[in-house]
Amino acid sequence: MSQTVQITDVCGFMTRHLADVFDTMLSMKAVHVPNAELPAFGERVSGSAGFGGESVTGAVYLHLSAPFAKQVASAMLGLPPEELSGESEVNDVVGEAANMLTGGLKSWLCDAGAPCAVSTPAIIRGTSFAIEPMPDVKREWLVFDCGHDRFVVEVHLKFN
Amino acid sequence: MPTKILSVDDSRTIRLIVGKAFRPYDVQIVEAANGEEGLAAAVREKPDMIILDVTMPVMDGVTMLTKLKENPELKAIPVIMLTAESGRDNVLQIAKIGVRDYLVKPFKEDQLIEKTARIVSLQKKPAA
Repeated sequence: MSQTVQITDVCGFMTRHLADVFDTMLSMKAVHVPNAELPAFGERVSGSAGFGGESVTGAVYLHLSAPFAKQVASAMLGLPPEELSGESEVNDVVGEAANMLTGGLKSWLCDAGAPCAVSTPAIIRGTSFAIEPMPDVKREWLVFDCGHDRFVVEVHLKFN
Repeated sequence: MPTKILSVDDSRTIRLIVGKAFRPYDVQIVEAANGEEGLAAAVREKPDMIILDVTMPVMDGVTMLTKLKENPELKAIPVIMLTAESGRDNVLQIAKIGVRDYLVKPFKEDQLIEKTARIVSLQKKPAA
């Protein structure tokens, strides 16, 4: 298959889709900050889901600071932060948000002629870890502001 | 008697959101975390409606829906599919198997209530 989808198109879609997910599920306004520096997180919660098909493979990562992840969980579940049952509940929400982001991208890729399937989401939580893409994988970071919090969506994409 | 709804989703988050959406209504929510558990719950509970995720481990929603439609005792139970994938192929695939409606994530709780109310009776709980 010729490469009809460009990573810039993917990032454009993801910017719109993330704002939609935050608005619909969290009633929060997330604003893309072009050319912003990546934020330095302390403890970080990263949700991810992969996608793969004959012509395209990749993954989407949602990186949130631990305090902001708790805020996101609180907003999605409609519970005050103190009523959340713990890290597992926050992790599950961040995983579901990553799943929604990746599911939307999968649909967009399918409609653009690059059919693929999505994996179930995974979570990494910690203070010191790095995610390195495989060789030949294009990587883009999209930085967003939501109120006083800054977070990142990382997109990995490889055309086969 | 409350309306009984089976919510099948591997994400506890989505099951909590579904439960929250129906809290003002006289609805009993039964939960299952994958298609296999969902089928067992459908046999055991005979729900009035099923809200079914597509992508799940162990048994996915499309497989569960197919098995549901093959079972004479369960095939009439209306199903709303909940999917993070809105692509044409995905929607066509689930439409072919026979769902009453579908909802694409992200979704507003109001949309879920509106689609459910078209299928089963939803009575508001009396104010306490």
